[in-house]
Order: sequence, then structure tokens, then C-alpha cells
Amino acid sequence: MTVAAGIGYALLALGPSISLFVSVISKKPFLILTLLSSTLLWLISLIILSGIWRPFLPLSSTTWWPYGILIFTAVAFQEGLRILFWKIYKRLEDTLDAFADRVSKPRLFLTDKMQIALAGGLGHGVAHAVFFCLSLLTPAFGPATAFVDRCSQMPFFLVSAVIALAFVTIHTFSMLIAFNGYAEGNKVDQFFVPIVHLASGMVNIIQRLNKNSSIC
Amino acid sequence: MESVPDLHNSMYKVLDGYPCVRLLNLSGEIGCSNPGREKVLAPIIRFKNANELSQSSAILLSMGEFQNFFKRISNDSTFARNVGGVLVESGAEPQNMLKEFSPARKFPQAEFSPYRSTNYKWNPIGSGIMWNAYNFPVFLLSESGTLTLQEEVVRNEKSKKSYTSVVAEFDLVMQTMKAGTHDSESCLKEETCLPLGGYSVWSSLRPINISSSDHSKPIILTMASMDSASFFRDKSLGAESPISGLIALMAAVDALSHVDGLDKLSKQLVFLVSTGEAWGYLGSRRFLLELDLQSDAVRGLNSSLFEMVVEVGSVGKGFNQGIQNFYAHSTGVSSALNKTLDALKRAQDSLKSDNVTISSASASNPGIPPSSLMAFLKKNSLTSGIVLEDFDTVFSNKFYHSHLDELSNVNSSSIVAAASLIARTLYTLASDTKDLSSSSLTAIKVNVSLVEELMGCLLRCDPGLSCELVKKYISPTDTCPSHYVGVIIDEPTSTPYPPYVGDVSRFLWNFLADRTSIPRENTSPVCSEDCSSKGGVCIGAETDGKGVCVVSTTRYVPAYSTRLKFESGTWTVLPPNSSEPIGILDPIWTESNWNVIGLRVYTIQSAAYDRLVLLGGISITILAYLAILITKSIITKAMKQD
Repeated sequence: MTVAAGIGYALLALGPSISLFVSVISKKPFLILTLLSSTLLWLISLIILSGIWRPFLPLSSTTWWPYGILIFTAVAFQEGLRILFWKIYKRLEDTLDAFADRVSKPRLFLTDKMQIALAGGLGHGVAHAVFFCLSLLTPAFGPATAFVDRCSQMPFFLVSAVIALAFVTIHTFSMLIAFNGYAEGNKVDQFFVPIVHLASGMVNIIQRLNKNSSIC
Repeated sequence: MESVPDLHNSMYKVLDGYPCVRLLNLSGEIGCSNPGREKVLAPIIRFKNANELSQSSAILLSMGEFQNFFKRISNDSTFARNVGGVLVESGAEPQNMLKEFSPARKFPQAEFSPYRSTNYKWNPIGSGIMWNAYNFPVFLLSESGTLTLQEEVVRNEKSKKSYTSVVAEFDLVMQTMKAGTHDSESCLKEETCLPLGGYSVWSSLRPINISSSDHSKPIILTMASMDSASFFRDKSLGAESPISGLIALMAAVDALSHVDGLDKLSKQLVFLVSTGEAWGYLGSRRFLLELDLQSDAVRGLNSSLFEMVVEVGSVGKGFNQGIQNFYAHSTGVSSALNKTLDALKRAQDSLKSDNVTISSASASNPGIPPSSLMAFLKKNSLTSGIVLEDFDTVFSNKFYHSHLDELSNVNSSSIVAAASLIARTLYTLASDTKDLSSSSLTAIKVNVSLVEELMGCLLRCDPGLSCELVKKYISPTDTCPSHYVGVIIDEPTSTPYPPYVGDVSRFLWNFLADRTSIPRENTSPVCSEDCSSKGGVCIGAETDGKGVCVVSTTRYVPAYSTRLKFESGTWTVLPPNSSEPIGILDPIWTESNWNVIGLRVYTIQSAAYDRLVLLGGISITILAYLAILITKSIITKAMKQD
């Protein structure tokens, strides 16, 4: 598929993240720090999760419910992490506001808060994209292409890039909506995010296990 | 799929196959090679769909289309220009499809014949395909390779996408092609090739006592050859030609070794198995040269004492409607020859119950068939010799020098019959007539299970060279036997470094030494340093038991062109020598060096699709950027209004 296609797939998965980074996040160093720390936290959560699940692996591929429990615990853990993130952020916000008061500078605006949430969500999304799509992309730079039986209309790399793009979007906006929900105490928003997260995970499982359905 | 290496392996499928490699001689080259330094990438197309080729393609053939394809290559140059590579499928039952196939010439090695009629067709179905040079790679796929390829092709056809195609990637880059050396002399000088050759083995049935002065026993030399050739380097079994003869010779030696009174024989029985015979009779010619030079390799042999030469040719297809028929092709006129023909008749009579017949070859033949005896005759036209074959006027082998000359092409009962004939004839010849009785003749019996075991070891992959008989003597490097002569590594000597000697040569040396040996007196049979110092040899030195020390006259003789000389690490071509008139006809075959040989198949996308993907990625990035800018401006405007 050559270098052109490889770069194309990488841009497809991470292009919007790059644009967001360049236009919004790189302007403020604090946002870069937020992005990096949220990426790190997401990866640590995955490592802890895999550590907890290690004794139960490998799961049998014929029944679906072990996978269901796996996804459920993963999503629950990450949502818990999100709340933790929110709590840390709240404390940080208070500290920053107090500091701003002392040096008579303005407090955090709404846009600032949204940008911090955006950076957090983007961190999660970029980590997901890098680890679930970019790491598989090395063979794409060679001359051959790959087609998976379950979706033979599109090359495998195209499918994984599109899915990664979808997850980046989900993660970014989830964080935004969740922070908004926690701040305003809006229950709808608070529950919207975990449900969407769980739903996307479950759909993934269903398609992986049901050999007749097509990812396309 | 668990990881990236798994993904890589499922994308790039390695095909298991046998290549055809580049061989060179003094005037040019034959065989196949990639045209340059790069791998060849070509989309796969079936021969029956390939009427017109629009681009360089890899042609997929079945064995039945092989000959037609090469005929088309030689006739149609526009077609030939677009052939990037060739893949040959191996079907499960090739014998059902092809009744005959031979890529050799109609009179193999005619230039060495002692008679003038070189137009005689010993091998009428020979097409001569393997003697041409091709500038594209050719691979014969194994059965697993054929299955893998068919899966890929079928999957691509089913998906019906116009932007993907299945390509084959051929890696058959030959060093002589890279270096631009296109004949033996230049490539040997540049060290981009190595000469063909190996190690022949000779053995004397009762060990020759070198120190004793009595060396005047006449010698009867019985020989066979152990190498074959084919279009595909690693798939030349040569079951009928010549391995059937080799097995018959080994079984005859085994039968004779159990006879009482071998010390009382009035003639010396010497057995020679030479290699390189398919490439200019390298083994025989070198053997004769070493005899002239009285070198270490042939110490104890005096060529003036050679009374008779008996060669065992192809003897695996003598079985015909319940009778085993063999033919004696003879040359020269002498009393020794008459005695041999009488001995053959006596042996035939003693085998009447087994329905074995031997007849003289037809007088309408121009002479002896292509055989090592031709090299002997070129050296000394008065040599008396007989070639024992299972055919009279034309080869009975319908797959001469092809990869299809395999186990199913020979019959074990035919080989057993030939071995019995040889053993009894040699015993008759070698003993005084007064000692000979019909009972002593009928006591010589060939071990049928030995013949079948040898066929399993030398002509099959399972058990192949890991069979018990072979493992008793050597540790083989490969399980699947191959009888291509190979190249000479390093300096040729009569005491070679064992890893440089081929598996079959080492096995033969040990087998013959074991059968022709007498135990050592006064010392233990375990091999140690003093074994060779006291005139013994070590059998089975490579095995775990570390071998047995016995007394036997069994030696290696290097087999390579008499016009080559190895000095200070390189090979030089010598001018033709008047003492060996046959040397001027020697093509001096060499084989090109190479780095790796491989074959992969995978699916590629068209370049347009790749560019589309790149465009898609770039446009999504730019669109996202614009969307973010617009959103930012909307938000700032909304904030300003607050």
C-alpha cells in the first residue's frame, strides 16, 4: 500500500486531533500538560485493568458474556476515573481561582474550563487512536494491503482508521459533556456519557463475536 | 490475529517452492534468474487467460501447460517480453495428467559420444527446455505452496474489486546477473559462481593391501552414478535415471559381501559411484585423471589392470508383463567382453525361476547409450565395457532428467532382478571356473528388504535420509534427498572435511566401507586416533556411538572438471590438455552464487486508491481545522455578546 496510503490512514485517524492541537491546545501550555496527563492516566487505567483481568485470560471466544463483563468493567473503571479526574480538576480550579484573586487577574472563564475539558478528552482519544490504530499501521507502509473477512469491501486499515476517528470524537466530546454535567449537576448529561461509552464498547464486542455481521 | 507480526504474516504469504537457478558454461548461460538486482513484482495471471499480455505479469501454469508455454516463449517474442515470472503448480497426481515429460535433450551429452551419429534420439520426448537461458524467474510450487496461492487467487476473484490485484514477488537475484559475468571463465575469476562437482566414492570388495607387492590381480570395475539433473535445482530425484542403478549396485555389493571365499577370487572387484555425470561426466573423467596421476585418492589401483568395465544404468523399469528384461549395451571386441557376456547368460540361467532375461542390445543402435562409459572410451577407445540398462533402442524412462522422475517411476522388483544379475555375473567373472558351481551361484541372494529400504531412504521425503539405515552411518543435513550434484566448496581433496561432502556421498562411503570391510585384528573396534595410523578407517564417525574401526579400501575421489584448478582460494580455467582429448569438449559448468531465494504473494491496491486515501486523510485534517476555526469564532462572538 505504500507510504502514501500509510500517511493517509494515519491522517484519517488523527488528522482532526492534530488540527485541534494546533489550533486550540498548543496556544496554552497548561492545556498541553492537561492533554499529556490525561493520556497518561488513560493508559495507566488500561494497564491496571489488564492486570486485574490477567488471571482470567484467555477468554473463550465462543461465548459472549465474558467479553461483556470485560467491557462493562473497563467502561465502569474509566468512568470512575473520569469522576476522579473531575474531582482533581475541581480542586485545581479552586486553587487557580484563589491564585487569580490574589494577583488580581480574572478568574477562569467558561471557555477556559471547556478548553481544559477538551484537552482532557482529546488526551483519552489520542491514546486510544495511537494504541488501537496507529500501532497496527506499520504494515500499511509496505506494498501489500489486507482485507478482513468480516468487512471485505474496505481494507482493514481503513476500517481501523475510521473506528479510531470515531473513538477520538467520542472521547473528546464525552469529557466536555461530562464536565459540563458535573459542573451544572445535570443528571442527563452525567449519565449520557457512560451510556454512550458502554454502547460503543458493546457494539464492538457484538461485531467481533458474531461472524455473520459485517463491520461495514 | 493477536499482534502486528501476525498481521504481517497474514498479509504477506510466503510460498514454498523450488527455483530454477542460473548455470553457466564456457560459452554462455542456461537456467533462470531475475533480470536485475531487484525483486520482481508482477500480477498473477493464469496461462489459459493470458492471450495478450498488457504488462509484465507472473504466469501461473499447470504441469500440462509447461511445454506449450516454453514453446510459445521461444516463438513469440512480444509475449516473452511481458513475462515477468513463472509459477508452476504441482497437482496432487501429476502422473495422471502427464504421461511423459523431459526437459533434457534428445541425445543427452551427445558431444561426448564415441561415435558420430549424434542425431540418434535416445530420448525422443526430450524438449531441451532446461538448456536455454531465461531472463525471468521460474518457481515450481510445492503442494502447500499451490494451495496457498490458489486460496489467494480465489479470494481476490471473489471480492470483485477493481482496484486490488494479487501479485507475486520473486526474489531470484543471481550474483552473475548483478556482476555482469555471463560465462564460466569470467564468473570464476570474479568469484560470482562456483564449479559444479562433488565427491565420488570407490571401494574394493576385498581391501587392497597397499604394502603387499602382489598387485597384479586384474580388476573388474563396476560403476554407477549418483547424480541427476532437472529444470528445478532442488527437485531432481532421478529415481529411474540413475538412482535405480545405484541401488542395484549397492544391493549387489551387499549380496556379494555375504559370499564365502571372497579372498580366493582371482580378480579384484572394484565398485565406483561417481557424481557430476549429468554435467559432463565430471566424476568419471576426474577418476581417470587421478589414475593417471597415481594420486592418493586412487592408491592401490593400476589402470592398466582394468580388464572390464561394467556400468549399471537405469534398471528400474525392466518389469514388463511378468518378465524382467534387461539389455547389455557393449563396446569393444575382446575376450574379456565375451567372458562377461557368457557370465551374464549364466546369471540369467540361474535366475530362470525369477523370469529375468538379459539380451544384447540391438545392432541397429549406433553404440552405447549416454553413460559414464563414454568418458572411459574417450580416454581409451579400446576399453571393453558393458552398460546394463532396461531399454534397448530408446530410453524407457519417460521422465528423464525431470522433477517427475520419482519413486512411482521405478519398480523395486526390477531393481532386485538387476542386482541379482550383477552380483552373480561379477562372481562368475571374478572366480576361477573350476570353483564355480551352480549352487554357489544360487547362494548369492539379493536382500529385497534392503532394496526397499534404500528406495525409501533415497527416493522419498518420508522417511528420507532420516531412515534408520542412513542414520546408522551419518547425521544427514536434510531429510528430503536431492540428487543434484551441487558445487564444490573449498579445495577438492581425497580426504575432505565431512560437512563439505554431500549427504548421499557420505552415506555411500560408509555403506560401501561397511560392506567391503574386514574387522581389525588385535585391537578393539572403537574408533580412535590410531585407527587410521594402523591402516583402518572409521565407519559411522558422525553418529553418537562415534564409529567402528575396520579395514577397508574405500575412498573419496573429488569430482570436478578436469579443466579447472583450485589455487590460492580461486578457481582457474586450464587450457585443453593433449593428454585428455575429451577436455576440449568440456563446457565447464558452474552455478551462480546468490544471496537469498524467496517467493511471496500478496494483494496490492492500485496507486489511485492509495492517493485517494491520502487525499481523504489530508482533507479531513483541513476540514477539521476549518471547523474548529469557525467554532472558535462563533464562541468568541457569543462570549462577546454576553
